[in-house]
Amino acid sequence: MLIKTGVPDIEDIMEITPPKRRREKGPVAVIECFQRIPCNPCYTACRFGAIKEFEDINDRPKIDYDKCTGCGLCLTVCPGLAIFIVDESYSEKEALVKIPYEFLPLPEEGSFVIGLNREGKPVCRAQVKKVQKMKNKTNIVTLVVPKERSMDVRSFSMKDYDDENTIICRCEGITLGEVRKLIQEGYRTVDEIKRISRAGMGPCQGRTCRQLIMQEIAKFTGQKMEDMLMPTFRPPTKPIKLGIIAGGESDE
Amino acid sequence: MRIDNHPILDFKRGKEIRFIYDGKEMVGYEGDTIASALHAAGVRVLGYHHKTGRARGFYCAIGNCSSCLMTVNGKPNVRVCVEELKEGMVVETQRGKGELK
Amino acid sequence: MKYTEIAVVGGGPAGLSAAITAAKYGAKVTVIERNNSLGGQLRKQTHKFFGSQKQYASVRGIEIADILESQLREYNDNVEILNGATVLGLYEDGVLTIEMKDRYIKLKPDRIIVATGAYEKFLSFPNNDLPGIYGAGAVQTLMNQYGVKPGRNVLMVGAGNIGLIVSYQLMQAGVNVKAVIDAAPKIGGYLVHASKIRRLGVPILTSYTIKEAHGKDWVEGATICKLDENWQMISGTEIDIDVDIICISVGLTPLADLLWQIGCEMKYIPELGGHVPIRDENLETSKKGIYIAGDVAGIEEASSAMVEGRLAGLCAANSLGYIIEDFEEEKQDLIEQLDSLRAGPTGEKILNGLEKVTKVIAGRYGYVD
Repeated sequence: MLIKTGVPDIEDIMEITPPKRRREKGPVAVIECFQRIPCNPCYTACRFGAIKEFEDINDRPKIDYDKCTGCGLCLTVCPGLAIFIVDESYSEKEALVKIPYEFLPLPEEGSFVIGLNREGKPVCRAQVKKVQKMKNKTNIVTLVVPKERSMDVRSFSMKDYDDENTIICRCEGITLGEVRKLIQEGYRTVDEIKRISRAGMGPCQGRTCRQLIMQEIAKFTGQKMEDMLMPTFRPPTKPIKLGIIAGGESDE
Repeated sequence: MRIDNHPILDFKRGKEIRFIYDGKEMVGYEGDTIASALHAAGVRVLGYHHKTGRARGFYCAIGNCSSCLMTVNGKPNVRVCVEELKEGMVVETQRGKGELK
Repeated sequence: MKYTEIAVVGGGPAGLSAAITAAKYGAKVTVIERNNSLGGQLRKQTHKFFGSQKQYASVRGIEIADILESQLREYNDNVEILNGATVLGLYEDGVLTIEMKDRYIKLKPDRIIVATGAYEKFLSFPNNDLPGIYGAGAVQTLMNQYGVKPGRNVLMVGAGNIGLIVSYQLMQAGVNVKAVIDAAPKIGGYLVHASKIRRLGVPILTSYTIKEAHGKDWVEGATICKLDENWQMISGTEIDIDVDIICISVGLTPLADLLWQIGCEMKYIPELGGHVPIRDENLETSKKGIYIAGDVAGIEEASSAMVEGRLAGLCAANSLGYIIEDFEEEKQDLIEQLDSLRAGPTGEKILNGLEKVTKVIAGRYGYVD
């Protein structure tokens, strides 16, 4: 419950979600301002008359989605950092989300980050499309997210910076960063990742990394662990001397 | 414990200021108070209460609570949270109420 | 003894706004500020302000301080600024005594605008005096004024606007906020502030209080505990949190020492943060010629403090006989601005408090018993 936890309920979100048709048409402002407070810069900033005039400064902003161009002016002035721009016309499977960001360091364009939801929980992997430095220091970070996450991702974490130091496959020395990059590139099963990277082909036979790789794929695709494909299992189950096999079956 | 990069603020540190804290040489910057320079150097205990002997640090940092009394250049009961740091200051942990000299 | 027409005690948002307005209409103003800089707490507010354009909405507090200071400097001929100067006393004959950089000064003004702001409330729990337990304002000062991190891991006690804003600022400074707790069952601050830190993963726990702090010479941890509907701790719900800083943000109370000294009529109004001076619509107290503005008049946002400052400055200048052609219009505009800032649900508490003030005034004229 918003008033108890700071996280809006699904009903709150439904109320401020622009219609699907509009989201798919192009960029549009999503105003997550759920409380009557004395504040109106979004209205004064809008050059398209999309945010209706406030009768009372405590009014919650009302937006005309047909007039909104998704320009993002309101996003930069909102003192509550409560406005986001969502664009589901970006590609077949992905959407853009513009997020106001007042932290350092800024992410690098093209880098991958973890998309966080309104509770700060990781929900997907996202690519930084654009970083706009603003004069008022409320910078804008545009993320590419899976389309179904466009109304979910509202923040991000750059923990990925540590990914290069996080080993997923200790036998082959494959890092979390490498695995995530492969998933992003379209390798979506443990087998595919195994074949392209050798993760899981070392002495432990994937016993250390398999679960971790599956979790990463699940996190990215939104799949459930139970629905995921297991890799192919082949002998031997442990490292052995070639000679043991080469010698053939021993006679008792 | 200094903030080097800040998304909103631009800290222009003034010139270095040397001072003595309980016999040790320390460095702060122009614009610091004694308390901010000490805190940046990791010093949080500024004194001990004259009656209970419990450790004291600052609470308000703007000169209201008077919890940060130290002896500065021999003068006791200086509120170090609002006392500007100056070159060569001798800052000492205060025990007791301070003496009239 | 020095003389001036209007002494403004305090150079924060309310005091500066009062001084600018009074000086604009021709009054000779002396601003007395205990810090070496002007702007008061605005100097530490890195967030963008709410309100409307008239109250600098969407401008960061630190920038508003610069704007107000430069506006004041435009009236240099009418304004004297005493920095590093603390008012020590306000006496029956209307004389202010001031300590300024180890000098003792007496000042006799014709009018006084008291804009001394507020101080932070405290909380009682075992070990609450350990170094590392700081007021939220102190943490703001340390970080945003001196550029020093208070510590590594923080527990924020209080989910009002200050608690939420300072939590966000701590994260901007690279400090980890472990949790924000509040004894109330609801978040007191603006929900947009709450959502801002929530989506960065900081838990906000309502109906939680701090049971005790741990540590010998400084904070090494804290125990928090859930409260039932009667605000009693529920045993067995304790959680230990590993922190080196505990930040207390449980509200402000007016810093009204001078008003007490001079014998202004005061009334305890919890909605306004504690004892506040009874005043009329011109913000004049029960002592003629003594005006108030900002948090000393009742705890509110800086936006309303600035409007109150303008109102007090306007009325004080008018009472000195300065000709202000559009006086009634100006005054009405300021009163309307205050009304609109207080009109929403977040202003309800303030309005309830102010109604109690009005009742006292009305009672004096026999309108109410």
